Amino acid sequence: MSTAPVYEIDPKTFWQDPYPDLKRMRAEAPIAYVPQLGATLLTRRDDIFENEKKVEIFSSDQPQGLMTVLMGQNLMRKDGAAPMAERKAIFPSVSPKTVKSVWKAQFEEKTAEALEELRPLGTADMVKDVAKRVSGEALKAITGLTNMSWQEMDRVSQGMIDGCANYAGDPEVEARCHDCTGSIDRHIDGMMPLLREAPDSSMLSVQMQAGLPEEAVRANIKLTISGGQNEPRDVIAGLVWTMLTHPEQLALVRDGKATWLQAFEEYARWISPIGMSPRRVAQRYEAKGVTFEPEDRVFLMFGSGNRDEAVFEDPERFDIARDTSHSIAFGAGPHFCAGAWASRCLIAEVALPMIFERLPGLALAGEVPFGGWAFRGPLEMPVTWDAAGIS
Amino acid sequence: METICVTWILQDGSRKTAAVETGGNLMEAALDNAIDGIVGQCGGSLACATCHVVIEEAPAALPDISPDEDDMLDMAEPERLPGSRLSCQLLAVPELDGIVLRVP
Ligand code: HEM
Ligand code: FES
Repeated sequence: MSTAPVYEIDPKTFWQDPYPDLKRMRAEAPIAYVPQLGATLLTRRDDIFENEKKVEIFSSDQPQGLMTVLMGQNLMRKDGAAPMAERKAIFPSVSPKTVKSVWKAQFEEKTAEALEELRPLGTADMVKDVAKRVSGEALKAITGLTNMSWQEMDRVSQGMIDGCANYAGDPEVEARCHDCTGSIDRHIDGMMPLLREAPDSSMLSVQMQAGLPEEAVRANIKLTISGGQNEPRDVIAGLVWTMLTHPEQLALVRDGKATWLQAFEEYARWISPIGMSPRRVAQRYEAKGVTFEPEDRVFLMFGSGNRDEAVFEDPERFDIARDTSHSIAFGAGPHFCAGAWASRCLIAEVALPMIFERLPGLALAGEVPFGGWAFRGPLEMPVTWDAAGIS
Repeated sequence: METICVTWILQDGSRKTAAVETGGNLMEAALDNAIDGIVGQCGGSLACATCHVVIEEAPAALPDISPDEDDMLDMAEPERLPGSRLSCQLLAVPELDGIVLRVP
């Protein structure tokens, strides 16, 4: 256990809204040991930014970690040269060029399909009916698992996330996780022969083309599914809610005074969909008067760093005109999000503009509870729009 | 420890010169010297394009732009110019002693 000052939280309150506690930690104990989480939290932006790069100390390699046991050794759970080579191998499937030339058109087609289907109804749940589907369809395309339904994509993603957070070892959660990884493996089995015949830009295909060991190929697809479904889903729905509750910001976009990309970047700063990334201390280390011991668990609190008052002025305010270049919503080091460019395209160029264009008079129709601190987003979001006026 | 001289022309036109240890890359050197406008979000993993510089003077030939760097440069802000590079891809090597980079 590190020598950091202890900060106690109430897990339930922290789950509902972690920001007040994180603000106090930044002010009083920016590096704090939280017994309820069994981890030492780094809450300031610059501490995270500097230390995330020290992979020889704050390692993401957790051989005994749940993620590795459940999903295989993927590139997130490796440090050093090996993941760099694997990142290079998957790059062609997520590079800005592929996003623009291959995925964007598919994102548009699938998003249009979803919205056209819902349009006559005049009402929907933005999280369950729209964001989940748009996100799932995008991930099917990128991973290459086009033989999966978007509902199954969402299910297996959530099942793996729950499995990786199952520190209490609940057998039911573990069984569900195995069922989900099994489903992914079967869908991979189904696609592999097809992609061998007709290679494409999907992550499954480019890894096969690069000749990566099959075990690594499968593990990286699982990592991408666990890390590529929730975040776009939470941002799509969360940003719709935010714009509807901040009409003056929506007007800036509508009047061409700001862009959807600015709105996206600011939302990801303000309510970071990945609020935390875990690390394991690999060797004794001292920072800011705190000594870390080998095997200590460290949480990099991206969501807190993104509200660090030392870096962002008036950080609690959602302001799409602000400079977000110091945001760490996609991470801040060698494990920087591989899906960053795909997400920007999906959300800022396709989903948000289409939703506001194709659902005229979009309005909230009930409570929108948010939850989570490791992953954060709206849990449900009833909306209505003007279906009558649509031709 | 060997060092080389690196100069950045900042967005306001002023210049900052620093002695940079060889071995690291020029994005890290910019962060070490608090150069405004160089963020280096992805820590040099060629995933963010926030280490964009324009080469003003190069004392020796620079390594070629790889296809991945080329692709990422297209996303750089502000827009790519002739001479644009991602500074995390440029190693501080003795041949580059005296290099001048502009922060666009
Ligand atoms: C708004 C959407 C998204 C956000 C905010 C986000 C954020 C993040 C963050 C914070 C990390 C961890 C970085 C670290 O520990 O340093 C990460 C890693 C990762 N993300 Fe994303 N993500 C998003 C969407 C996606 C999508 C759509 C995909 C898949 C296409 C994806 C694939 C990955 C992968 C593969 C990694 C691990 C990279 C590695 O270990 O080298 N993400 N993401
Ligand atoms: S630091 Fe991210 S591309 Fe150079």
